[in-house]
Amino acid sequence: MDIPKIPIGHFIELFINFLVDHFSFATKAFSVVMEAGLEFLEHAMMAVPPLVFIVIAAALVWFLSKKRSLGIFTLVGLALILNLGLWNATISTIALVLISTLIAILIGVPLGILAAMNKTTNRIVMPILDVMQTMPAFVYLIPAIPFFGLGKVAAIFSTVIFAMPPSIRLTCLGIRQVPTELVECAEAFGSTRWQRLIKLELPLATNTILAGVNQTVMLSLSMVVIAAMIGAKGLGGEVWKAIQRLQMGNGFEAGIGIVIVAMILDRVLQQIGKRNN
Amino acid sequence: MKRIVTLLAVVALIAALAVPSFAGGKKVKLAYVEWDCAAASTNIVKAVLQERLGYDVEILPVAAAAMWQAVASGDVDGMVTAWLPVTHADYLERFKDKVEDLGPIANGAKLGWAVPSYVTVDSIEDLNKNADKFNGKIIGIDPGAGLMRVSENALKEYNLDKFELVEGSGATMTAALSNAIKNKEWIIVTAWTPHWMFGKWDLKYLKDPKQVLGGAEHIDTVVRKGLKEDMPEVYKVLNNFKYTSIDQLQKVMAWNQEPGSDRYENALRFIKENKAQVDSWLK
Repeated sequence: MDIPKIPIGHFIELFINFLVDHFSFATKAFSVVMEAGLEFLEHAMMAVPPLVFIVIAAALVWFLSKKRSLGIFTLVGLALILNLGLWNATISTIALVLISTLIAILIGVPLGILAAMNKTTNRIVMPILDVMQTMPAFVYLIPAIPFFGLGKVAAIFSTVIFAMPPSIRLTCLGIRQVPTELVECAEAFGSTRWQRLIKLELPLATNTILAGVNQTVMLSLSMVVIAAMIGAKGLGGEVWKAIQRLQMGNGFEAGIGIVIVAMILDRVLQQIGKRNN
Repeated sequence: MKRIVTLLAVVALIAALAVPSFAGGKKVKLAYVEWDCAAASTNIVKAVLQERLGYDVEILPVAAAAMWQAVASGDVDGMVTAWLPVTHADYLERFKDKVEDLGPIANGAKLGWAVPSYVTVDSIEDLNKNADKFNGKIIGIDPGAGLMRVSENALKEYNLDKFELVEGSGATMTAALSNAIKNKEWIIVTAWTPHWMFGKWDLKYLKDPKQVLGGAEHIDTVVRKGLKEDMPEVYKVLNNFKYTSIDQLQKVMAWNQEPGSDRYENALRFIKENKAQVDSWLK
């Protein structure tokens, strides 16, 4: 018995080549715009003297979270990053994560709402999310190069794919968890579907949605090292470079940088979520 | 929600206040793999193009597959790190219509299996007898590398049935080697020259009488199709760029290994010390 192998790989390759031939001009153009935006954000953040930046960031964190301890942690943590000589890499990573997260949320949250309201959408979206979350990033990173070029935009592309699922899932979950009594009540008062969504479901789901956003930020940060393999640089680049050269100390230093950024972002977002209660 | 808006507003404000400094002028993009030989060569080319011709050169450290893909898709202008005929054979085969191979920058590179010099085995043929001492393992690198493919062949050709080739990465290979040397243990790694590990530790290649692991390798410059028309000057430099021997490259790599050294500074030093040679690249 010799069953011929189904040529899945072959067809995928043909498909990708077709896309490259016919659509890469559009994705390339998109890439140029994105890169300019990213560069602008990066230059902007780097134009601020580091010490001033650190103080502003600490004050902002304190204000947003209403927690002095977190403000102090931000101050000390960022100062440590500056001291380790990782400032530029950190800024570049933060810019990358900010933009990736923003795109992921802008696509993810509406999609989550749609999936919660519409059964068909739900059925289509959920298996795609499984693929997005489990497909090893490298599998689509290399084919992404002809579309988005080497570097940050391809990195953003992969980061968005990897980090978006929690935003969609938790938005969908949050809306579905709204108690049926309340939904019935809203219907009894004659509210339209829109009114029900805006005035009842979204406010009640905010916490769950924010938890999803939080997850998205964390996943974006965890992608930075993989994204470094296609030239995203930043802290992930430092980690990757150090590992390749067996400089474990440097690897850990850059790793600590990532952890500090992650902790600050995570705690601030959590506090915002809590205050919404 | 209000806080998120505030946060975004602050970010936007900082962005608006800053003056973006977009570098004007002629841009060249080169990709390289974070190996020491690649980093050394790439920085030298960068320095020559920047200091002598006034180009603005961006160098991107990426994975080997990404490097080839990027040159093939024209996203970067070229690279000076193509290991041929063996290591990168698969990539060249895949992209040969989309790239141009400008020939070697250095001959006498080499692939093989290396052991610490305190290991008393000298030839691959004698490995089977000593399999226990090596725990039956040969420490390899990335599964996709050409070196791994020829290593598989070597296992077959020499009937090394007591050995398995362990996949990992360049980093895990050097980590395993470092650890074994610290404990004076026996270890075999898949290796290539030039590589910093030969400068750091006392290693030797195992003899390969059947020549399975390939003879000498050369490191080539590969550029995207169309570079010759778009940027003739850059093309010329990349085409002429060549070391007098592999030792010259090893020397720069050794500079880069010195603690606290800067690769770009070392590239400038190379240009200064080899003025006539660099001049000949520009002609």
